[in-house]
Amino acid sequence: MRTAASARRRPALHRLGAMLESYSMVAPAYMIFLVFIFVPVVWAFYLSFFKYSILSFRAPTFVGLGNFKKLLSDRVFWIAVKNTVTYTLGTVPVRLVLGLLLALVLDQEHLRFRRIFRAIYFLPVVTSMVAASIIWALVFSANADGLANQILGVFGISPKGWLADSRLAMLSVCIMSVWKDLGYVMTIFTAGLQGIPLELYESAAIDGATPWKRVWHITIPLLKPTTFFILVTQLLGSFQVFTQTYVMTSGGPGYSTTTLINLLHTKGFIQFDMGYASALAVALFVSLLVLSWILRRVFKAEEIVY
Amino acid sequence: MSTKGIIKGRRATTSVLMYAVLILGGIVMFAPMLWTLSTSLSRDSVIISHRLIPTDITFENYVNAWSFPQSFSRNTNLGTFFLNSIFVSAMITAPALIIDSLAGYVLARRDIPGRNLLFYMALATMMIPFYVIAVPLFLVVRKLRWLDTYQGMIVPFLASGFGIFMFRQFFQTIPKELEDAALVDGCSAWRIYWSIMLPLSKPVLGTMTVFKIMWSWNQFFWPLLIINKIELKTLSLALTMFRGLNVTMWGVLCAGLTLATIPIVIVYLLIQDTFEKGIVMGALKG
Repeated sequence: MRTAASARRRPALHRLGAMLESYSMVAPAYMIFLVFIFVPVVWAFYLSFFKYSILSFRAPTFVGLGNFKKLLSDRVFWIAVKNTVTYTLGTVPVRLVLGLLLALVLDQEHLRFRRIFRAIYFLPVVTSMVAASIIWALVFSANADGLANQILGVFGISPKGWLADSRLAMLSVCIMSVWKDLGYVMTIFTAGLQGIPLELYESAAIDGATPWKRVWHITIPLLKPTTFFILVTQLLGSFQVFTQTYVMTSGGPGYSTTTLINLLHTKGFIQFDMGYASALAVALFVSLLVLSWILRRVFKAEEIVY
Repeated sequence: MSTKGIIKGRRATTSVLMYAVLILGGIVMFAPMLWTLSTSLSRDSVIISHRLIPTDITFENYVNAWSFPQSFSRNTNLGTFFLNSIFVSAMITAPALIIDSLAGYVLARRDIPGRNLLFYMALATMMIPFYVIAVPLFLVVRKLRWLDTYQGMIVPFLASGFGIFMFRQFFQTIPKELEDAALVDGCSAWRIYWSIMLPLSKPVLGTMTVFKIMWSWNQFFWPLLIINKIELKTLSLALTMFRGLNVTMWGVLCAGLTLATIPIVIVYLLIQDTFEKGIVMGALKG
């Protein structure tokens, strides 16, 4: 009878066989990575130095940093940067604060209808972004029948243009986006809250700390890893916002809701200026990497040991 | 599992205030959906109903929404897009679970040269936003002549670094003895994976299934780039065709939106906990 130990001490040929067997098991995954991720990543960097369109029969022509120079002097690019930053500032902090408050409130065991409340706040997360965007395009319809204008009407305020108004369009998109992802942030915070040991609260209560003091001095500091995680993913996500602005406004009116990915879509897949679109993608990628590196440093620097 | 009493011992007035805020917030969250549902059930399809609860209920809009795609392509209806979405989601989810778990198993348990490199490669795929590779991926798929095909929507997503990572983490927690016994019996790695490891990974399989289906069901950007044929459009993509209705026929538009949204809402309500777990797990993706 063989033992486990002797089974592991098989002859070289057997070992080679086992190795090949293992490689055959990882092969499908890594072949897909190679063809559909690694080759495209390298190609994206390569293309960013070329002028290339699939509409013309010309081979890609090397333009050096030409695409990047063009990008930096493109007025629409800077509008898109501004819009993307506006969108980020208008959504991420709001989601973070409201999401944390909701998680705190809905985490109390004595609260009635907790599951129902949680389900209602989570429901927008499960709806598809496209469906939600169209629903909100109707809510923010410029005519008096849109839900938003009906509600304004109740207070005697005249109908607004919302998505048709370049000053209100981004605000409307932000409101929709907070609505859509609030439940998501809440759920992650809830998961973070469950990792905090109960004893900490109990001893704080014995010391006579008021509820808000407990939240401020125990919960919020201990939630720091969760908060950092949400902040990073939310920031990265909001720099890549596309579906809402594509479906609700097509980036308009004018360029008022054109985000970086809207621009990438237009340049790459409507005008087929693929070198330029790749330069934009590479620039975005590098900035996102730098941003997450900075955030990591900032949060690490602030680390306080309790 | 709850941190009870974070805000315990409050006075009755604060409690009432808290419920009031929660309910008000709940109404704001729910109102757009209720309004859509109500509009879809209202008889008047030209001028929108001004109520959140309809008075005169009709299902006429649903009939029209179902057959509306015929105005774009004769042989389609809303069911076509449902089937496309179901097909694409299933064909991504099922093979991807196998491919990811296979790789996850090897990375967790098999001692092969380059294992760490393979693991870091899997992690690296998670750090690359899809938009970065969209242009070249389009060119790859075009070279393969997969534009406007199902395989173009499916094959690029059959493996994910995130899935591999999750399965690897899970397989590492399974005691080695279980495997050793099978090794003694001369079982191959494939056999061990298939009859021992995979059945044990049911909890991960469950949450990963929810996560993958959700993800592929909601895909929009990629199909938008490569699918032009109406017969191949997924539900998300097809909904944008309905948008042209937003000038006049809100009832039909809202019926289409309701039909597209209700199945996933029902699934969510049925498996609320698994669903939220899938979301939290998916969040780890970072």
